[in-house]
Amino acid sequence: MVMQEPAVQDENGFDTYVNGGVPSTTGPKIEVVASNESDPGAATFCIRDEDHTLGNALRYIIMKNPAVEFCGYSIPHPSEYMVNLRIQTDGSISAVDALHRGLDDLINLTSHISSTFQDKVQAFK
Amino acid sequence: MNYSNFTQNANKPFVSITGQDQESISFILSNTDLSVANAIRRAMIAEVTTMAIDLVEFENNTSVLTDEFIAHRLGLIPLFSSDVDTMIPFTSRECSCQQYCPSCSVELHLNVKCDQESRSVTSNDLISVHQQIKPITSESDSGILIAKLVKGQEISLRCIAKKGIAKEHAKWSPCAAVAFEYDPHNRLRHTTYWVEDDVKSEWPVSKNGELEEEPAEDEPFDYLAKPNKFYYNVETTGALKPQEAIIAGLKVLQKKLAFIKKNVEGIAEEVGTGGVEERMF
Ligand SMILES: [Zn+2]
Repeated sequence: MVMQEPAVQDENGFDTYVNGGVPSTTGPKIEVVASNESDPGAATFCIRDEDHTLGNALRYIIMKNPAVEFCGYSIPHPSEYMVNLRIQTDGSISAVDALHRGLDDLINLTSHISSTFQDKVQAFK
Repeated sequence: MNYSNFTQNANKPFVSITGQDQESISFILSNTDLSVANAIRRAMIAEVTTMAIDLVEFENNTSVLTDEFIAHRLGLIPLFSSDVDTMIPFTSRECSCQQYCPSCSVELHLNVKCDQESRSVTSNDLISVHQQIKPITSESDSGILIAKLVKGQEISLRCIAKKGIAKEHAKWSPCAAVAFEYDPHNRLRHTTYWVEDDVKSEWPVSKNGELEEEPAEDEPFDYLAKPNKFYYNVETTGALKPQEAIIAGLKVLQKKLAFIKKNVEGIAEEVGTGGVEERMF
């Protein structure tokens, strides 16, 4: 039932993501794109096997955090199934914390929509 | 961290159901962002798991249609997929088996020989070995037409229906159509109409436009305005009920987020040169 759990690993022990039939990328699900930045408040994350579905919603919800000064996403190349997510904070929290908070917020948001929707469907009948 | 918890107050989306029948449901999602509304739309179209025929083994086919033609038609027949995750735990891509197994697939059979002048082969002739996962049925119609046979012709085959998502093939999509609209009066100018003489007569406002105030003739353009109200009409193939498809779409998003969250653990030391923890706090 663990839909996103990878079943295969490559020779380096990295998980190979199988997402539908889309030829997938190999590597960690999420990693920090290498840079020589010394500011922990700024980072670019590479999320594998995701697209606009999550990229844009995550960008929105992270931007909602008042401590975040910039958040943007891009899909660097159409044939590589990955999303780059850039986060820059005002320094009061780290970029990783902002990402964490964004993930939590979006989970809360979707579960709120889901429960509200189910209530409304029940009431509509 | 103590910034206002916006998901608890300001940005709590609202949902209202505007219509519902067997095949479709209309609802309005409001007080949220376009990106969230679009994520839900995309998830339910492309990433909800259902069952669909994926492998067909022909024993005999003396009909006028080729094997691959029939196989293609079989793939497009919706199979009841409610609660599929509790019965079939894996998609075939996730499963550790070589080709297919009971954890990722279901077998169906079709054995028809025409003894009359002619006959139709429909989805009702497809017999599943599974209790629940079988071709959809409705009282109003006589099944989905697969082929027509004349006297003496025969089709006998074995199908493997696999669990999958529509990113791989549209046959796995539970949605036949998802109508999605916002800003019916085009206040935000997200679209430019091609007009010959008169916009109003050439581009009649959709039914959703009745639910929003019509902009005044000389209204100044609010370039800061953002869409806030999203109109959906979700029509399913029958594989899932419309409300099930929507709930499943939201669940897909939650699972994706939870999986990323799990993987973010231990990433902290990569950020910044000194490591986030010791530098920050
Ligand atoms: Zn299997």
